[in-house]
Parts: sequence; structure tokens; C-alpha cells
Amino acid sequence: MVLSLGDLPEEILQSILLFSHPSGTAALERTARRFRGVTNEPLLWRHYCLTHFKFWAPKHDMSAKLLSPISAVDWKGLYVSRHFVDIAAGQLLDSILTNQTGRIGKFQSVISFGYDAKDTLLRNLSIEPGAEDYLARRFYAKALLTCLHRSIAIPEWVSLRGGEPVPLAHALGAFDLFIPESRFGNLDEINGRLDEVLARLRLELPEIQTLSSRKKACAVASFLRAHNLIGIQPGREYHCLEHNFLGISLDDPEHNSLPLVSAVIYCHVAQMLGLNARPCGFPFHVYVIVIPHAGLDIDGNVIGTNIEGESIYMDPFRSDREVPVSELRTQLTFLGASSLVEQSALLGESRTSEIVARCSKNILNSLQRLNQLPGVRSSPVDVGCARYAALWSSLLFSSPLRPAELRHHLLWLMELLATDFPSDIYLIEQYIAPIFSGTLEFEHLMESLHVIRTVDEIPKQVKRRSPQYKAVRYHVGQVFRHRRYGYMAIITGWDAECGAGEQWMRRMGVDRLQGGRHQSFYHVIVEDKSARYVAEENVQIITSDVSELPPALVAVAGKYFKRWESTSREFVSNIKDEYPDD
Amino acid sequence: MAETNTQELTFTSSDGKNMKVPRDVAERSLLIKNMLEDLGEATEAIPIPNVTENVLTKVLEWCTHHRNDPPTTGDEDDSRRKTTDIEEWDQKFMQVDQEMLFEIILAANYLDIKPLLDIGCKTVANMIKGKSPEEIRKTFNIQNDFTPEEEDQIRRENEWAEE
Repeated sequence: MVLSLGDLPEEILQSILLFSHPSGTAALERTARRFRGVTNEPLLWRHYCLTHFKFWAPKHDMSAKLLSPISAVDWKGLYVSRHFVDIAAGQLLDSILTNQTGRIGKFQSVISFGYDAKDTLLRNLSIEPGAEDYLARRFYAKALLTCLHRSIAIPEWVSLRGGEPVPLAHALGAFDLFIPESRFGNLDEINGRLDEVLARLRLELPEIQTLSSRKKACAVASFLRAHNLIGIQPGREYHCLEHNFLGISLDDPEHNSLPLVSAVIYCHVAQMLGLNARPCGFPFHVYVIVIPHAGLDIDGNVIGTNIEGESIYMDPFRSDREVPVSELRTQLTFLGASSLVEQSALLGESRTSEIVARCSKNILNSLQRLNQLPGVRSSPVDVGCARYAALWSSLLFSSPLRPAELRHHLLWLMELLATDFPSDIYLIEQYIAPIFSGTLEFEHLMESLHVIRTVDEIPKQVKRRSPQYKAVRYHVGQVFRHRRYGYMAIITGWDAECGAGEQWMRRMGVDRLQGGRHQSFYHVIVEDKSARYVAEENVQIITSDVSELPPALVAVAGKYFKRWESTSREFVSNIKDEYPDD
Repeated sequence: MAETNTQELTFTSSDGKNMKVPRDVAERSLLIKNMLEDLGEATEAIPIPNVTENVLTKVLEWCTHHRNDPPTTGDEDDSRRKTTDIEEWDQKFMQVDQEMLFEIILAANYLDIKPLLDIGCKTVANMIKGKSPEEIRKTFNIQNDFTPEEEDQIRRENEWAEE
């Protein structure tokens, strides 16, 4: 008898199918009855789910599914549903890439898949440079992914604002989700890091649970400090932007963090060990307050049910030891808060929303310092994203008593939205607009949102190279250096003469140019992601190789271009719907 | 160490042929390795009842080529299954007719040679890859025993997998 596939024992067929692609397995099922059982084995489909998809939306409750009996879950059905999401998200991305119109709606459709879309986006993000549209694909996959992460972060803050209990680590971790470099995509991932710290502590200090609250509080501080998990390494600039982010600090081998972030790490670990530890509302420096359990003092002695034990104060950022309350009171008196009422308010625990607002201020502060020290060191954190995170949190948590600040922040947020994050418009509509309802800003806001949406939905006006434009020398995709300012940029559009408003022309001194306003003008994109408008006389075309161009410029090129063409030494247009002849 | 390397064993195939095998080559088979550990020294010929001479020769060719591979551990199951890449020598080695391919797989399974079993399974998986049900039937000579109604129903169930 000749041996054939169907003669192989079940367990070997199973091993073969573990290596097979699920669509091959589905095709084999359709060949003959013999293969129906083996191709529908739940373990097989569970394996496909886990090897083909890494990220799962919370609605699937994967950790519970993995613990339940294999037959309790429809693994094949689950795989098939994820397969459809993968296909749909991929098609939406393709459609975003092929047309400049209607991108906002397509973005929103991808985001509506939630975390299930992440695998698809990551795959597109890491596409090889050989692909025909690799620059555009990477750019928009990244834009979608960061938008997805923000759509997880912002509702967390909105819950907190609405008075729901949100863990400190979630509230602060939400900042990280704005930062692509933090590599965190949801809050559980950050929590996971904190759990690792806790596990390490438990391993090293097995006796920790037998200690009194006071000793425990000191033991946690000294453990975290001994392992450099909190605080800032000597010699580092205190105000570095990255020191503001919980996830980045946990992930970085040096673990540098501002006192606020250090305090949150400390509180999280201490709380998991049963301490009632909270950040304190003290001004200028974040201390931690450890409150004794009801009926006990901080050393664990019974003091009666109606008496409140004295809290102690810790400064994990600077020290292993507790800070005497008398010292804090002296500082407060020195700062001008001398009344007991004032002092006890400032020595009380800080609300989580206050901590978020404080972090937002710290970030804006760090950004301001970064501006004051230009070119000292490029930040490992995307400056635009950090600013965007700070503005969002500021708008959600700033005191309504400072309407001027709120107005400013809204203005800045809307500027950033228009240039860098237009896809977030629905997040603004959903979460920011209601805050301003009934104010003067509301009308302006709704008007701007309406304009952004309308611009997105109207097909671009087509500009062909007709005779009237024969004077326009350069074309979309060419790289140049600005003759006067020296920056490198890429041409993304052109006009036969200056098309900006009279006011702009006067402010920029267009008429003082040699060629004045009646020369070709170019829309360009610069490596700092800004879009500018440049007169032809200032355009000095360069034909270097892509490897000589600033990497930031190449990355942002994806917004308008498919790829780099090494023979012509220019970028290949992805805006043919607007400039078909370029 | 030199002693274990030079030591030779004798295998007897299911069709009664004797073959000399260096011990380290034979120990690619966990079945043999564990048996030798239990026995201590094997002085007599070891019968391999399920494998014919031509298949056993082929399997030992593989074991000889891979005699110095690092041993596999048990916990790499998932990463192992993620890739269907087969190294070049193994690809050439597996260019045999289907019957021999299945025989090698069965022998590797019986002798407990996990890496060889995996290569065999990957080879079959690659033969299924990208094919329609009809093409798979042709490749493996499978008889369609579905009624038209059944076939239609299964096709609908698996529509998602079609390009």
C-alpha cells in the first residue's frame, strides 16, 4: 500500500498543521472528510490566535480565555474574527495611502477596532524599504498607532475627571501613551513593569510583610533607591523631558524620574504591599504621605477605633528615611503658609487629578527649558507629542478658575491638532468640546473643527502642469536647502506666484525679495515637521543621497511621499491626486 | 569523550538488515539515547522494528550531518513553530518522493528525533501553503468524499480564508 497524507496518525497531522498557515488548514479541511476533525482542533486554532496576533482588545479578555478549558472558547471563530479585522484595517490603511480625501473618517474606522488593529499597524510600520510606498506606509501606520494609543489614554483621564476611581499609575501612565518612543501601548503594559518591581522587592525582602507600617515605608524607599529605580542619577539635567514619563523611566536602564514620578512609583509599590501611601499636596516637591490603618498607629500599636494615628512623610526621591513633619511645617512657614489650616491642607494627600495637572505643568516647564537651551541635546522624547500630552491633560484638569490659561492651551492644542494630529479631531469633539460648552470659545472651536473636517472631505484641487504654470521651475519631491536660513526641506506643492494673504506677505517682507511676490512659491515640509512657504529664489536644489539627508526629514517625508528614488535623487509623490504631473 | 564518539552500535532494520552506527549519531534519536542510558552498554544489535533499511539509511544520513547540533530543549515549542524556514541542506535532503517523505516523518516520530520530525512537518506544510482545496487534492492524491451539499457548506464556513 502506498502511504499518503491521510494515513499519517492524528498527532503527526496536528504537528504539520501547527506549521501550516491557517488559510492552508482551512483549504485542507475542504478536501475530504478525513481532515475535518484534525483541521478543527481547538488547540490548533488557539495556537494560530497566539502566534499570528500578539495584541488583543480588552473585550476579548484574553488572559481569562487562556485560563479557561480549551473547549470553552471558540478559538477558530476568534481567529476568523481577528483575521477580518486584520484585512479591514489593512484595506483602510491602503485607502488612506492612495487618496488624500476622507482620511479622518478612515482613521476613525481603524481606531474603532481598538487594540485589535495594533498587529496590522505594527506589521505595516516595519515594512521593508523595498516596498513601493514604504515611507508613506510607515508614516501613516505610525500616525494610526499613536492615535490608537491616545484613544486609550484620554478616556482614562476623562473617567478621572468624572470622579471615577483611576489608579495613580494609570493616570500618570496615560502620558506615556502619547509618546511613541515610550513603546507602551496600553496601561496594563506599564502596570506589568510595576509588578515586576514589586516581585523583585518581595524576592529580596521576604520578611517585608511582617514589618510595621513605618519600617515597611522605609524598606520600600531604600529598596527602590538602592536599585536606582527612582530619583535622578547624579550629573543628569533635572528638567530633561523624559524624566516626566512613568513608563519611560521604568523602561530606561537608568530609571531617571522627577520627584512626582518617583513618588508615584513608590506609592504604587507601597500600596501593593498594603500601605496607605499617597502623594502629598506639598508645593514644589512631591512627598509621600503614609497614613496608618484605622485604629492603629504607624508602628502597629492599637490606639482605639475613633482616634486617627499620625501619618508619616517620606521623600523617596531623595532619601530612605522619613521626613519629620516639623521640618515640612518650617518649610511651609518659610513659604508663607503659616496658618495651621493652610498647612494641614498642604500636608494632606493630593488627589490623583491634581497629580496629573502637576505632571502636565512639569512637562510644559521641561519643554520651555528645552527651548531655552537650543541644540544642547536632542530629546529622546518627541517634543510635539509631549507638548500635545501636556496640553490635553491641562485642558482636562486645569482649574477652571484660570480661564486665560485654559484659552491659551486650547489655542495651542488646536494648532498642534491641525498640523500634526488632524486624525484626533473626533477625540477633541468628544472630550474637549463639552468642557467649553457655553463659553465664547465653544463657537470658535466648533468652527475650526468644522473647517478641518470639510477640508478633509473635499477632493484636492487638481494642479496640472498647464502652460500658465510653465514658469514654475521645480516640482513636488525635490529636496532643497533654504538659501537664507539653511534648513533642508522637500517641495510638497507650488503656486505660480505668492498665494498667501496680504498680511502674511507684509509680515514676511515678500516685496523685499529680489523677485518679489510675482515669482513661483513652494509649499515645503521641513525636518522639524513644520510646513512652510518659500519663494523660488530661496530654493537651492540639492541632489545628495538619501543617506545624507536628516533621518527626521526622511521620516516626515512619508506624509506626502511614497519612497525615495535613488536615480533621480528625489522623493516619489504620493499626492498625485493633487499634482498629477509632478 | 573520544571514546563515546568512536563507539559503534549496530541497528537492525525491520527488513532484517544490520547497519553500523557511531554512538553520537545514534543518540540524535532520544529513543535510542534513553535506551542506552538505561542499558549502560549495548553489546548486541538494536532492533528498529518500524523502519525499513532504505528509510533508516536516509534518517541516519540526516543524523550524521546534524551530529554536532546543540541539543534541543523542551521549552522552545512556540518560537520553533513560528517559522517555516528550512535550512538549505535540509531542504535538499527532503527532496524525496512523497512516500519517502511520510516514511521519514513516521520514523523520526518513532525514533523521537524532534528536529527531523519538524523539518518533515514543515515540508508538508509548505506543500499545502497557498493552494486551493482542488490543488491540495491533486498534490496529495486525496479523494473528495463530500456530498455536493456538504462541500458547499464547508466552503461557506471557510470563505474567510480565500484571497
